Amino acid sequence: MAEKFHAELKNLKAETLEMAHLGRFMLRTSVDALIRQDNDLAASVVARKEEIHAMEIRLEEYCYQLIAMNQPMAKDMRVIACTLKVITASLRIGRYGKVIANIVKKISDQPHIANLMSIPHMADLVIEMIDDSIEAYEKDSIEGIADFSSRDDTIDSLRQSIFREGITYMMEDPKSITRCTNYILVARYLERCADHACKIAENVQYMNTGERVEIH
Amino acid sequence: MSESAIITTNNVSLWYNEKRALESVSMSIPKNMVTALIGPSGCGKSTLLRCFNRLNDLIDNVKITGEITLDDKNIQEPGTDVVMLRKKVGMVFQKPNPFPKSIYENVAYGPRVHGIRDKTQLDRIVEQSLRHAAIWDEVKDRINDSALGLSGGQQQRLCIARTLAVEPEVILMDEPCSALDPIATSKIENLIDLLKKDYTVIIVTHNMQQAARVSDYTGFMYLGKLIECGKTNQIFEHPTEELTENYITGRFG
Repeated sequence: MAEKFHAELKNLKAETLEMAHLGRFMLRTSVDALIRQDNDLAASVVARKEEIHAMEIRLEEYCYQLIAMNQPMAKDMRVIACTLKVITASLRIGRYGKVIANIVKKISDQPHIANLMSIPHMADLVIEMIDDSIEAYEKDSIEGIADFSSRDDTIDSLRQSIFREGITYMMEDPKSITRCTNYILVARYLERCADHACKIAENVQYMNTGERVEIH
Repeated sequence: MSESAIITTNNVSLWYNEKRALESVSMSIPKNMVTALIGPSGCGKSTLLRCFNRLNDLIDNVKITGEITLDDKNIQEPGTDVVMLRKKVGMVFQKPNPFPKSIYENVAYGPRVHGIRDKTQLDRIVEQSLRHAAIWDEVKDRINDSALGLSGGQQQRLCIARTLAVEPEVILMDEPCSALDPIATSKIENLIDLLKKDYTVIIVTHNMQQAARVSDYTGFMYLGKLIECGKTNQIFEHPTEELTENYITGRFG
């Protein structure tokens, strides 16, 4: 029976990866829509909201079912524990994608201020962290996530810099307030997505070694 | 282990004729705790358990080396009083094995062997032991009926009461639930949890979920060696040895 269970675990991981890729795709696409001021692209992100929610419920139930039926231990238990966290993090990342997509509609009728400041660069870095955390989960390897602490610091600095820059533009021109406020919000959402990538990384570390680490 | 040890083994090896069944086992059994021994069939866990009250003495051509201490006394010493040792270290077996006598006589048998004749005192011991084994309420009205009329689970608890009647320090349990249904198993598991207040319990089990549920410490044995021993939650959450990991996740055994 252990073989059947281990095949189920593999399947669970494969399906969770699918969800993680969807969350990542929603975030990437929403930022692309923001950059290009593409309302249709933004709408395509919002349209996948239900899909990712359904995945969350189905995969969580899958996890609970595997626990109830197999009483997993050691690494098997840690894989499921980590998977539950990856499911939550992926949903959040996808939802931030949806929220950013909603912002696109609000500010697409006016030109960008300062080329969106550092948002495109910040988004690239965040997406890279998400990619590396997903890959670490997939390959059960902690190599690509060893430097997450310093990468997360960079993301925090970028958010602060966007915040300061935004305030400056708002003080200079009150007409920029809506756009700049939304930029600041987007930076905040991106920073939260990096935090979720860190959460995935922490849990992959736990899955791999059984040790708890905290990435600040 | 930070708790004080009641039993320690130091480099214990055991041979049945030429076959080495235990290989340099060193471990400590903490007092008033439940220690589980797990491992695939033939790994030596029952053999190790039977070393603790020298039950292996009853088998021909057994050779043991190393040291086993109970309360800091080497029980392997030739002068050891084996009857007293087995009084201190009681045992419950896989299959309930009540004597073909009344419930009362089953429990009173041990104290009588150890010289207690006073009826009032025996009555008190019998009631106390049956209460301790969580079976008193079920049998108090038929204490003179044959023990063989009890259900399997009740018989096993009676055997535990019989062990308790001689006031042991340690109770060895060799697969105590493998012949029982889930409800009877759950009663024995609850009982083990209660017993550790007053006794030290060492349990051999094939059922890893049971080891995880009832024990504070777990030792994993493989091919006569103690591969890993530690707190149960650590062993089942993140064992140190790959062999342990593979066994408890069902990758072999």
